[in-house]
Amino acid sequence: MKIKAALSSVGRLRRLAPFSNDFGIFRSSLSASGLNGDEVRSTRVSPSVQASRDQTGDLNLLALPQCCDWRDASNRFPNEARRALPTHVTMNPSAHDCSSYKATILLSERYPAAGVEVEQVMRPQTSFRLACSSLAAVLLFCGLALAQPTDTNPVQAITSALRAGEFDRALQIIEPELRQNPKNAQLWALDGIALSGKGQKKPALMAFKRALAVSADYLPALEGAAQIEYDTGDRETASLLQHVLRLSPGDATAHAMLAVLDYKRGDCPGAISHFERSAGQLESNSDALREYGLCLGQVKNYDAAITVFQKLATMPGDDPHDVLRLASIQLAADKPADAIQSLQPILEAKPDTATLALAAEAYESQKDTPRAVELLHQAIVEDPQNVDLYVQFADIALVHQSFQVGIDMVDAGLKLQPQAAALYLARGVLYVQLADYDHAETDFEKADKLNPHLGASGVARGMLEEQKDDLDKALALVRAKLKQQPNDPQLLYVLADTIVQKNPDANSPEFDEAVAAVRKAVRLQPNLVNARDTLAKLYLQEGKIEPAIEESRASLHYDAADQVALYHLIVGLRKTGNTSALPELSKRLAELRLKATREEQEHNRYKLVEQSQQADTQKR
Amino acid sequence: MTISRRSFIKIAAGSALATGTLPLLGQEQGVASRGVKPQARPASSGRPFNAHFVDIAKAAGLHEPTIYGGVDSKKYILEANGCGCAFIDYDNDGWIDIFLLCGTRLDGAPPKATNRLYKNNRDGTFTDVTEKAGLHATGWANGVCIGDYNNDGFEDIFCTYFGQNCLYRNNGDGTFTDVSKAAGLLTSETRWGAGCSFVDYNRDGHLDLFVSNYIHFELDKAPVPGETSTCNWKGIPVNCGPRGLPPGHHLLYRNNGDGTFTDVTKQAGIAAATESYGMTVVAADFDEDGWPDIFVACDSTPSLLFMNNHDGTFREEGVIRGVALSDDGMEQAGMGVGIGDYNLDGHLDLFKTHFMGDTCGIYRNDGKGNFDDMTRAAKIGVETRFVSWGAGMVDLDNDGYPDLFVVTGSVYPEVERKLPDYPYKTPRILFRNLGNGAFEELDSAASGVAQPHSGRGCAFGDFDNDGDMDILIINMNEPPSLLRNDLSGSQNWIKIKLEGVKSNRSAIGARVLVRYGNKVQAQAMVSQSSYYSANDSRLHFGLGSIKTLDVDVYWPSGLHEEHKNIPANQLITLREGAGIVKNQRWDQAHAGNA
Repeated sequence: MKIKAALSSVGRLRRLAPFSNDFGIFRSSLSASGLNGDEVRSTRVSPSVQASRDQTGDLNLLALPQCCDWRDASNRFPNEARRALPTHVTMNPSAHDCSSYKATILLSERYPAAGVEVEQVMRPQTSFRLACSSLAAVLLFCGLALAQPTDTNPVQAITSALRAGEFDRALQIIEPELRQNPKNAQLWALDGIALSGKGQKKPALMAFKRALAVSADYLPALEGAAQIEYDTGDRETASLLQHVLRLSPGDATAHAMLAVLDYKRGDCPGAISHFERSAGQLESNSDALREYGLCLGQVKNYDAAITVFQKLATMPGDDPHDVLRLASIQLAADKPADAIQSLQPILEAKPDTATLALAAEAYESQKDTPRAVELLHQAIVEDPQNVDLYVQFADIALVHQSFQVGIDMVDAGLKLQPQAAALYLARGVLYVQLADYDHAETDFEKADKLNPHLGASGVARGMLEEQKDDLDKALALVRAKLKQQPNDPQLLYVLADTIVQKNPDANSPEFDEAVAAVRKAVRLQPNLVNARDTLAKLYLQEGKIEPAIEESRASLHYDAADQVALYHLIVGLRKTGNTSALPELSKRLAELRLKATREEQEHNRYKLVEQSQQADTQKR
Repeated sequence: MTISRRSFIKIAAGSALATGTLPLLGQEQGVASRGVKPQARPASSGRPFNAHFVDIAKAAGLHEPTIYGGVDSKKYILEANGCGCAFIDYDNDGWIDIFLLCGTRLDGAPPKATNRLYKNNRDGTFTDVTEKAGLHATGWANGVCIGDYNNDGFEDIFCTYFGQNCLYRNNGDGTFTDVSKAAGLLTSETRWGAGCSFVDYNRDGHLDLFVSNYIHFELDKAPVPGETSTCNWKGIPVNCGPRGLPPGHHLLYRNNGDGTFTDVTKQAGIAAATESYGMTVVAADFDEDGWPDIFVACDSTPSLLFMNNHDGTFREEGVIRGVALSDDGMEQAGMGVGIGDYNLDGHLDLFKTHFMGDTCGIYRNDGKGNFDDMTRAAKIGVETRFVSWGAGMVDLDNDGYPDLFVVTGSVYPEVERKLPDYPYKTPRILFRNLGNGAFEELDSAASGVAQPHSGRGCAFGDFDNDGDMDILIINMNEPPSLLRNDLSGSQNWIKIKLEGVKSNRSAIGARVLVRYGNKVQAQAMVSQSSYYSANDSRLHFGLGSIKTLDVDVYWPSGLHEEHKNIPANQLITLREGAGIVKNQRWDQAHAGNA
């Protein structure tokens, strides 16, 4: 089926959210293009970096910096060594004098010939974690340097062995010393280092913990333990790192590691805060920089995120998908023209479907629906099995009130992907627009059957029953779905919303159930502004003005254009007598409304028609 | 759901879930409707309602249909909104007469399409005196407001049109003269005049004029059914708008005191207000500062409340004061407005009608012009089935508590052929006031208001002078309804006719408090309310079992007068500064019907 956009009016497509907890847009883009696997690249390692292979098969690079100044180190160790080393030696450049120590850099890399060619597998979201390992190792050594024992002979021997990578020899020295001085935290820490060097992470961790049992604030042991737990993904890592920061607040490595941890658990404000205190590591570590940029995007600091990805996109030999990320953020920042400009070189070469889909979205945002449809059509032709592309097309059809065209396209997708729950869901939504509730219900049921974990199908079914004025059935459906997925915030929201539709009296059992549901929903998904709006509404109904104001402010934090929240805030403030801000808020609401109206009008400028039915584009 | 349905499909891909966006399932449409479900109906109070209505239009001689656009389908919204009507005692004989607006058709006006003036024959019948009165006019008439703009003692008529609005000066001899041009009210451009209200905004004793404009509409450029998202309703192509069409601009004309008006829209601050699809206009002193404010019910956009700055300017504060949007900040299809004091606290509350799938709204005034949406608490939310238009907050059973009456009717005659659940003609709605802040929707059949029509404007007044409120209703492409109130029981009442002296002669803008028993009820003298319509200018208060009352009048001039121990069941005429004066012709008129 060939689709053309008929000129009449331009629609503005809300962009795919580029920032989800797992940054789904990129994943889906990568997945769509088949490029989310490992990327192999060759890197020449400086001869000044000594490489050997440890027992785990990882590459151990022994760099020999004369000091911990990463600038100096970076001069000495170009390319990958530079990438790794300065990241790790920069944590406390002013606090520690590491000039007499060598840095051990642990890079998990595959290599064909140690010290010469390193075939590096880049995993954009994991390499920083690995890079941090070596950083911690350096930190550990630096920490030891500041904690010289009284009797330096055995310690010197141990550290010499460690420097030489002779971990067994180090352990042989440590063992008798520990028997004599079992309360010596330093010896336990060295034991941990040696065991760690042998790849015996568990015993190493035990050793560090023994050191901490002797001296809870012993920094090298804290760092060593944190390093291992960080590597193994242990939940204790964050508390250990926080402990490190209490002892050494400016510890850039600890900040860097905490940033990564925060990033992984989706706490972007926390991650950003730590990234920004990790000193120069962002400058040199593209993975960290990328995660920082993604988080900036997620908190809607688009300008800063764009700057980050513009930098990443120009970094030689870096992830080519940073261009897609850049474009996606530019779209989120309502800069579709910039996004198109970013994508243009790829579009002019040989674009993959992910690029085509993103470009289609950009063109749609720029109100060039014909071009958007053309690119999306091209993507579908190139990758007809890609469910996401049909969904994207359905969305454009929905926006432009071209429901039947959307249904026909989804039909085509279903012929190739008959088990795609998402397509049934999409088609069901389109049927609803045509008031074809029977077909819609059939599709929603099918979607639910194919993927019972697709919360949206439960949401859709519940909403459909709402639409059909059968609130009791809607409630029954949503409650049943919630039994399967009790922590689905959308379902919880729909439950509350359905109850609210029944207009229960304040403080009735149903009212309380609605309040509980939306409170849980926002706890599970703090940015679920619709749930917050419902909660604010219920609070207002109950006469709980201050909590209503609080929820409204929270909604506006996540979505400054949330008109409902803004109105609730106005109502709440008026009720509290705090009226000074009302004129400004009222003006803001009027502006938002005007903008929304204009956007709605823009949506209506194009209508999709099937070329088989209509040879040319039509002007409305 | 109160949220955009956009990007719902992306939920299927899993992306929108993480962003907090959740879409609305359902259609976008031309008219705002929140798609809310009805509130659960409380158990019946079981209390008798003594008012019963009988449509006597035919017997009364109101035969001619109100022509308005297509009968079975409507291509443009111009054909859909209909018009208003007025109870006006144009000849000052103590019997209110009837003025009905009329539209036309896209392919030309049928021979009998005209506005009509019916003279009250004082026997339950009316005589069409349109031609004699010089009021024959054909076009897309919309709103009517009544007021004595030249203070000559005879009520004048202003009509809004799609096209050229008309000011008819009452000559005092049973005829009217179109003085639009002489008054400076002609415009060069085609406007869609909608609501209007005479209002003495600068308190100089001369009635000024506020006119709301609905949309900027051009027949040759207007979209047709099905063309855009705002031209579909439940998947069926229907007339487009108002959404998607450019809003009109509201106008304020200052009365120069010499029979002419000056457009002061810009300098008065009206032009600065948010663009809205203006409909019914009600002017009253909502914040009780002695200066009239202006409320404009707006369709599918925030309604407007212009607060008087006492210096010839206004500031628009509808959102801040809680009457612009629904309780969750959503636009509603504000069309008709009732004004009164439903909770008997002495302050003027508002009642606003909306589209189907939405509740009407009732807004409680705290006396300072701040309103709380009490729709839920007042149990108005039990009814969401109909498109609602004309409305009044009127004590229909004289029990001392103002009730609510609503005229309904769809705007899409073509829909019921495909979706029988959505008929074009629908019954009227009657909410009786339970006296506890809540209302009870009465069985329309039992009240005599079940006959379905596609109604629009309605006016409330006592056409037979029997001490209760009757209702005049415009029905689209049908003769009007004249619902005679056959009230039983022995409840008491009072009617108050105001006559301004320093204030404008019609006393428009006056606020009246009637104290009866332990109750106090506020009413306002307004030039337009309901939907594009004008009520009987004699304020009517039901008193229940109370037989004497006190009256406070806050005249537009600023004068405050109190009148004590007035016996019930009569009309009193209060002249500004002079107190109770002899009624003009009422005594004879009422004596014949008492």
